[in-house]
Amino acid sequence: MSLFDNPFNAESSLGCACGRHASAAEHEAAGRDAEALSGQALQTAVVKALFPRDAERRRFLRAVGSNTAMAAIASLFPLGALQAMAQEKGKVEKKDLKVGFIPITCATPLIMSAPLGFYEKQGLNVTLVKTAGWALIRDKVMNKEYDASHLLAPMPLAISLGVGSGALPMNVATIQNSNGQAITLALKHKDNRDPRKWKGMKFAVPFEFSMHNFLLRYYVAEHGIDPDRDIQIRVVPPPEMVANLRAGNIDGYLGPDPFNQRAVYDQVGFIHLLTKELWDGHPCCSLGVRAQWVKDNPNTFAALYRAVLNAAAMAADPGNRSTIANAIAPANYLNQPVPVLEQVLTGKFADGLGNVKNVPDRIGFDPVPWNALGVWILSQMKRWGYLKGEVRYKDIVEQVYLVTDAKKRMKEEGILAPADMPKKIVVMGKPFDAAKADAYVAGFAIKRA
Amino acid sequence: MSASTFLQVRGLAKRYAAAAAPVFEDVAFTIGRGEFVCVIGHSGCGKTTILNILAGLDAATAGEVVMDGREISGPSLDRGVVFQGHALMPWLTVRRNIAFAVKSRWPDWPRSRIDAHCQKYIDLVRLTGNEDRRPSALSGGMKQRVGIARAFAIQPKMLLLDEPFGALDALTRGAIQEELVAICAGTQQTVFMITHDVDEAILLADKILLMTNGPKARVAEIVVNTLPRARSRHDVHHHPHYYRIRNHLVDFLVHRSKLLQEGRAEVAANEESPRVVMPGLAEGDEAPAAPRPALLKQIK
Amino acid sequence: MPQRARSAILSCLLLAVVLLAWHVGTLPKGGAAQAVDPEYARLMGLDKPKSDGLPTPAQMGATIATQLSDPFYDAGSNDKGIGIQIAYSLSRVALGFVLAALVALPLGFAIGLSPLIHGALDPFIQVLKPISPLAWMPLALYTIKDSTTSSIFVIFVCSVWPMLINTAHGVANVRRDWLNVAKTLEAGTLRTAFQVILPAAAPVILTGMRISMGIAWLVIVAAEMLVGNLGIGYFVWNEWNNLSLSNVIFAILVIGVVGMILDFLFGIAQRAVAYVE
Repeated sequence: MSLFDNPFNAESSLGCACGRHASAAEHEAAGRDAEALSGQALQTAVVKALFPRDAERRRFLRAVGSNTAMAAIASLFPLGALQAMAQEKGKVEKKDLKVGFIPITCATPLIMSAPLGFYEKQGLNVTLVKTAGWALIRDKVMNKEYDASHLLAPMPLAISLGVGSGALPMNVATIQNSNGQAITLALKHKDNRDPRKWKGMKFAVPFEFSMHNFLLRYYVAEHGIDPDRDIQIRVVPPPEMVANLRAGNIDGYLGPDPFNQRAVYDQVGFIHLLTKELWDGHPCCSLGVRAQWVKDNPNTFAALYRAVLNAAAMAADPGNRSTIANAIAPANYLNQPVPVLEQVLTGKFADGLGNVKNVPDRIGFDPVPWNALGVWILSQMKRWGYLKGEVRYKDIVEQVYLVTDAKKRMKEEGILAPADMPKKIVVMGKPFDAAKADAYVAGFAIKRA
Repeated sequence: MSASTFLQVRGLAKRYAAAAAPVFEDVAFTIGRGEFVCVIGHSGCGKTTILNILAGLDAATAGEVVMDGREISGPSLDRGVVFQGHALMPWLTVRRNIAFAVKSRWPDWPRSRIDAHCQKYIDLVRLTGNEDRRPSALSGGMKQRVGIARAFAIQPKMLLLDEPFGALDALTRGAIQEELVAICAGTQQTVFMITHDVDEAILLADKILLMTNGPKARVAEIVVNTLPRARSRHDVHHHPHYYRIRNHLVDFLVHRSKLLQEGRAEVAANEESPRVVMPGLAEGDEAPAAPRPALLKQIK
Repeated sequence: MPQRARSAILSCLLLAVVLLAWHVGTLPKGGAAQAVDPEYARLMGLDKPKSDGLPTPAQMGATIATQLSDPFYDAGSNDKGIGIQIAYSLSRVALGFVLAALVALPLGFAIGLSPLIHGALDPFIQVLKPISPLAWMPLALYTIKDSTTSSIFVIFVCSVWPMLINTAHGVANVRRDWLNVAKTLEAGTLRTAFQVILPAAAPVILTGMRISMGIAWLVIVAAEMLVGNLGIGYFVWNEWNNLSLSNVIFAILVIGVVGMILDFLFGIAQRAVAYVE
């Protein structure tokens, strides 16, 4: 095993204490000085710091894929964190963490890390606090009541920009999940499947700054319905969606699971479509932290990140989904019947119209906060008038989604740049180029921009 | 002003608004040490206000009140007040009501001494056995007795009673009046008392102040009660002075108080002090054998 | 038969009628068994009885028995027994209530004793009093920056007014005679305040406190449903998420019983300070 072993090779093992060599002897034999350290060696240090145990690292790399892992790790570490990790002490600055979550399957990696012991393994004592709604979560993050929190992917962008709240620089550590949402309609609409006929209907989304809001708007607008004028879109906390659907307050919602499946299970609604059918691989929720918190607690952040990454890796394996469903079902977490969660996580589900569907990638767990995702979100915020004037998409996303920052720094260090996004962004058949966001916005017939 | 004059009131007036006519004005009288003085007058003549000024609870618009050589400027433990509506604190027992006063007078006394002192006065007003009852469990007469015991318990230099028996039935009133006579006789207490009841005044008072009607009420006359002390309500009306005094008082209340207010009666408005009369004496009668020294001086 | 016994029998009869109506109303509907794909039925949970929907009295009884058999269990930061939830709610109510009392009683004294202060503060009180306590929540969260403190603040805000107004009213209407007694006895300001005005106004003040406590108990449930994280309101919200109506009904019963006990305790306190003039 040589110094230049690729640390992202799942089959190799890492031996040297400094992380640069497979062994101390090799280090000496190599006779190279610090100046000559390759970027790859530093990378090795990072990977080793993240996953001190080889078996763990291999499992993670196998599950996520080495490119994804590289990007994920690169996305994470500001210089301070990188150095802290290279020193390999990794003593966490803060052991007891409070992490907020909304009881939905999007937060699966975050939640399952508690019952499955991922936090504990990283020396963290995480208290997961179930929270009533997104506005409250936002306030509690800004209050510093929570160290980190489950946030909707657009929220850190909105908070950083001060849209809909005071401005506070936020970072997105990881995307929690991809896909996993659906449009659910009340049973009385089972013969009303054409969005063109939805004028006057009332829909719910979990929050203004949510993929749900943007995807629902996108979807109806593509069918000639103006989401601001032709239909009503209300904000309803996810846990209250089924009750509202049953009460007839809303005709349907684009909401997070398990509340789509729960509506089916309770025979009040049916799944009109999965958001995967709109955009396969769209992000939904994220693990958000205050930028200052990352700077103050780099090792804690790294430990938290490792835990969630491990969980994401485990969740990514379809074979584990049943176990996970059982782990997150109790009242302490989602408080849902296991069969409902199983249907969400395994993708074999009843659609509420008498059909059993099998969509294994109904929900995915790709943790990388790709830049382009952030740009797409901003483009929709621009499109619907949440952002006014000129939007510097790239600059904003680079500050919030840690991927670019780290990538740039790695380049300066001569480290391999992370690979590109695994999937191109294609929403309802229309490709999105992050470099031409304004043109993309201008191309829509229905918009507020 | 004689050495035994205990309280002197001069030029007292009260008006509630600068523009309004005074309720009373030019009120002047003296009370000797150990003397029992009653005030009689119609409602609205300011009797209670005068009592409140003496108690220090109200301030006069003009005039001064000097007690024992010092001008009154506020409430003081030197003057015990028995209020019209007994004013017992309903959340306290009989004993604690009195103890509240005793504790005010002697803050340093230990509880046992306070209790013993209270007991003495409870016994005095013959409420023994009712120490731990609350006022609501007492009859009207018993409540008023507690009020009297409370006022006496602080051993004030002067006692001020504001129509203390007004709300009581005739029988109860009679009984307590006699007790009051006995207690005052025993303690040589100086007393200033308001009443509506002519018989009560004759029974209790050494001197009766007659007030004209308000507004602009004044003390029109000072009636010296020439009945001998140690009176009892059973035989007081057998005394020859009794009806003379009584008739004089009733006549005043029915006719003269109004005429005097309107200035149609004989008392001159510029008269310095109210005249002193002894209606109990018939033509040629001697002045009473042993009226109080202060009284005698005033009469001469 | 004495009146009481007849009332009791009537109460029981009413309860029986309600339970019977409930039982009949929630009997499982027969004939809904359509010929569906067994796999679909399994996924829909139709193969076994579901715990959700309106429970029958028997299911309700079972829920109550389960909850009460272990009221202090602790299954994690978001899942604790009903006893612990009640304790959280009560502690918040107690804290907010005590703080409100600490403000309302002295301030009420000042307002009651001084027409000047009364005149100065009255416009503010009149404007602030009718505001729904929950309307303060967003502002509280934003400024206080702590959700537990915010819910305590909301309790404070809702319980301060009845106490303040009643204290001021009680103090202002203490019988003149008693104050005069204190004056003629040269009782000091503090002695007068604590030994005359306070006991004299206590029944009115306690009425205010009793009203405050009632409101506080109503509001804490709503506040906890809003900000969550433990407490009986959170319990209701959490069970609503799960559409578990039997647990929600159970919580409603518990809220009612606890409210009744609180009111009962204040009733005792009220009787203790009451007096007959």
